[in-house]
Amino acid sequence: MITNERQTTGNTTDVHGATLSRRGFVKTGGALTVGFALAAKDGFGQGAAPGSGNSLNPATPESWIEIHADKTILIRAGKPDFGQGTVFTAYRQIVADELRVPFEAITTVISGDTDRTPDGSGAFDLLQGGMPNLRKVSAYVYQALLDLGSQELGVAKDQLSVKDGVISGGGKSISYGDLVKNKKLNLSIPVKGDLGSMGGLRVDGNPPLKPVSEYTVVGKSFDNPVTISKVTAKETWVTDVRLPGMLHARVVHPKTLGSKLISAGPLDKARFPNAQVIVKGNLVGVVAPTEWEAIKAAQQVASGTKWSDWKGLPGNDRLFQFLREDADWKAVPPATSKNSKGDVASAIATSPKKLSATYQLPYLKHAPIGPTIAVGDVRPDGTVHVYTHTQNPQALRTAIAHMMSTSTGNVVVRTFAGPGHYGRSNGGNAGAEDEAVILSKELGKPVRVQWMRQDDLQWSTQSSVAYSDVQLGLDTDGKLVGYQIDHYMPAMQDDRLVGAVLAGLPTMPGPGENNSTLAIANAMHDPWIYDGTQTVLERAYGTFQVGQKSSPINVGLRDHSLRTPGQYQQNFPREIAITEAAVLAGKDPLEFRIQHAREKRTIAVLESVREASEWGARTGRSKDTGTIRRGQGVSAMLRSGTYWACVANIAVDTSSGAIKVEKITVSVDPGIVINPMQLKRQIEGGSVMGVSIALHEELRFDESGVVSSDWQSYPIATMADLPEIKVVMINRPEVGKYGQGSEAANALAAPAIAGAFLDATGKVARRIPLKPAYVQSLLRA
Amino acid sequence: MTAVIVNGAKREVHAPGDTPLLYVLRNDLELTGPQFGCGLAQCGACSVLVDGKEVRSCVTPLATVAGKEVTTLEGLSARWAKQKGLSGETAEKTLHPVQEAWIAEQTPLCGFCQNGMMIKATELLEHNASPTVAQIKEAFTSGVSPHLCRCGSYTAIIEAVQRASSEMTKGSKA
Repeated sequence: MITNERQTTGNTTDVHGATLSRRGFVKTGGALTVGFALAAKDGFGQGAAPGSGNSLNPATPESWIEIHADKTILIRAGKPDFGQGTVFTAYRQIVADELRVPFEAITTVISGDTDRTPDGSGAFDLLQGGMPNLRKVSAYVYQALLDLGSQELGVAKDQLSVKDGVISGGGKSISYGDLVKNKKLNLSIPVKGDLGSMGGLRVDGNPPLKPVSEYTVVGKSFDNPVTISKVTAKETWVTDVRLPGMLHARVVHPKTLGSKLISAGPLDKARFPNAQVIVKGNLVGVVAPTEWEAIKAAQQVASGTKWSDWKGLPGNDRLFQFLREDADWKAVPPATSKNSKGDVASAIATSPKKLSATYQLPYLKHAPIGPTIAVGDVRPDGTVHVYTHTQNPQALRTAIAHMMSTSTGNVVVRTFAGPGHYGRSNGGNAGAEDEAVILSKELGKPVRVQWMRQDDLQWSTQSSVAYSDVQLGLDTDGKLVGYQIDHYMPAMQDDRLVGAVLAGLPTMPGPGENNSTLAIANAMHDPWIYDGTQTVLERAYGTFQVGQKSSPINVGLRDHSLRTPGQYQQNFPREIAITEAAVLAGKDPLEFRIQHAREKRTIAVLESVREASEWGARTGRSKDTGTIRRGQGVSAMLRSGTYWACVANIAVDTSSGAIKVEKITVSVDPGIVINPMQLKRQIEGGSVMGVSIALHEELRFDESGVVSSDWQSYPIATMADLPEIKVVMINRPEVGKYGQGSEAANALAAPAIAGAFLDATGKVARRIPLKPAYVQSLLRA
Repeated sequence: MTAVIVNGAKREVHAPGDTPLLYVLRNDLELTGPQFGCGLAQCGACSVLVDGKEVRSCVTPLATVAGKEVTTLEGLSARWAKQKGLSGETAEKTLHPVQEAWIAEQTPLCGFCQNGMMIKATELLEHNASPTVAQIKEAFTSGVSPHLCRCGSYTAIIEAVQRASSEMTKGSKA
């Protein structure tokens, strides 16, 4: 079997256990001995965990943690790595601290394979408000080890202490490795939830946790061991998976997002003697033994394939008019934030200074550097094996089982490293998985489906378009007395298998009014942080995806969450509106925020970023008057227990309209900083993505479908756009929780840059991207 | 049949001459360092060195590299060992300074683009041992297309190039 088990010992990282890879997965010698045979006290039956099937029993501790007689430790997590490195760094640090073992003792990490991990869920929210499942499991196991040690040493449990995996007390000691040899221990891990759901299973109960003040591993920088295999070409990427007899495939996607197949193009057998065309409903696949033949044959078939025409989208030019005038925002009631209070309308009506404005964000692409790819293998025994790069393998497994009308027990999903796609597959699929399975079923052979760049931009999901209306009022002292924001965003989470939709196979319904999993309802994603405001009303309206209902094939513009999902769409309008309010009040935008905040952590990150960025406090705008005008802007956000503030320093070339972001300063308070080096790299990367979103990114589409087809028509930031990036991490062990550092930084830059643009030019940018033509139009206005 | 020198060894390939080098490397020669990113020479994920010059293997037909020297990510360490006159066990254990720097700086996030980034860095440092930040930015954004990283690891790449540069020029400076 192909596995993604990773040895993390020393300087090597091996993927082992398989014989099928073309490169030959490294077989590591010295099979690990499981010395700790923990028996589940009760049968946490498979019926109790819907969809568990061939997954590991989450009730037994050895499904999560194996302590071996040779003193090494193995851990398992259902959440795969997606470039954050968290499962290979932070998870090991957390487990090491709870178990009182060195970081290096955890030599193996298994993650994201549905048949080799217990808990499911996805590569997002990896620290779950400070409580990843493994932390609790470690705490349970630690208590069990103390019990076992107490019996073994004949010393009362409360007289024992543990250091580096050695239990000591009463003048005696024993290592975990020796303790667990041939031992049985009755321990049952309580779990809740649904394995195949978005959140997977959660470990329950309240085992005593190690006091944060006693941490010795958390808080230090450790390398991500996977880095070595990636830079030495030893990593087995999803792109490297090869199975015996495997065929290469490319899919000829419909001409528009609403086209039906009229006829598949005839295959030129003289040119492509080994290729085959598979048609199932509106799904057209072209397969061949070699990849190049598959690619060329698919291009040839595509040129002769006939599709019905469809025009059901507003196109970029009419998008926001369509959303305001034509979209149905009343199909479901809006969500109102719990921070809403008071009579906002009256407060604003009587304010001496008012602002009423609309803010717009375009559709964005996740735009992974490599297109979606998967290998599907439907075997004669009816089992289905999927080899892919997904953020949520258990959810994908459930969806594939549904499509194939089989039980989840017949489906195995194995995950591999791949190009990050930032939320696109957090509900299971990234695009190619179901197509690979459908084609494998038809051909009786393993099939590798890789999308071309164009497919990945035109047939994947996008991050939802959004607009927001803001009304606010200030009193004579320049204090916010009323703030109202109404957010409008189409459904942002479509987890349907698009190949199944095209092929007419079963999959979940698209986002709808009464659909609990894929609702069209919007939610308040951006927690209010300016509690000093007298009256507040925040509402979030949802509707159907654009084109979803009118598309004859029920496709249209499918949406999916993107890094800091929903929140970046709400934080941009709020933060630029707050900057505008400060300017209207004649106040410094950073000081204005501090004056309206009440939570000390919010104030502290703002004060931190003020100092670190060398913010120039002022009430009027920048005095620059030349061709190049510089400005500073600020933004702030609270996400998953993490407090963020960002300052952007930009230069606007008023002749060309080009904006250069010169410096980004980010202050972050995530509670406990687990691994400073890895957190810093995540924040730097997120900041670059934020600059990219602010300056470049906008999905181009017309009445029929997506027009963006490559990196020229969907540009992202290059190294030329790289600003100086300064990251300040505020460690707060006293909070006792870990926040989320690997998300969120991407949301900060755009509102800070728009604020800096206002400072530099006196003009307000209420939409992104800030491309030169738009900037010039603002400067002329 | 086409003969190519890949990572120092002569390899004979039976793929059609119009096959992009990328597929030959990945599927015929089992060298999977270079990745498919766009197939359009717009991102750099597939980069390799051909006679020391960084090229996009996704648009380079096999026939055009006949008889030429191709170096992939897998061959960087041996390339460095040869340049430094290292042999035997020392050569085996030595990584290219660019790879060492990429590890020390923890440069990759998802890491999918980093093959091309390391290839570009190697090309740059072979021609300019001590590039300035501006020259590094120029190298990674000029040529056929900029080298793209969606995770935004550009800061870490620049820091890694600088680290590799100081490692490679150690002892050669006055």
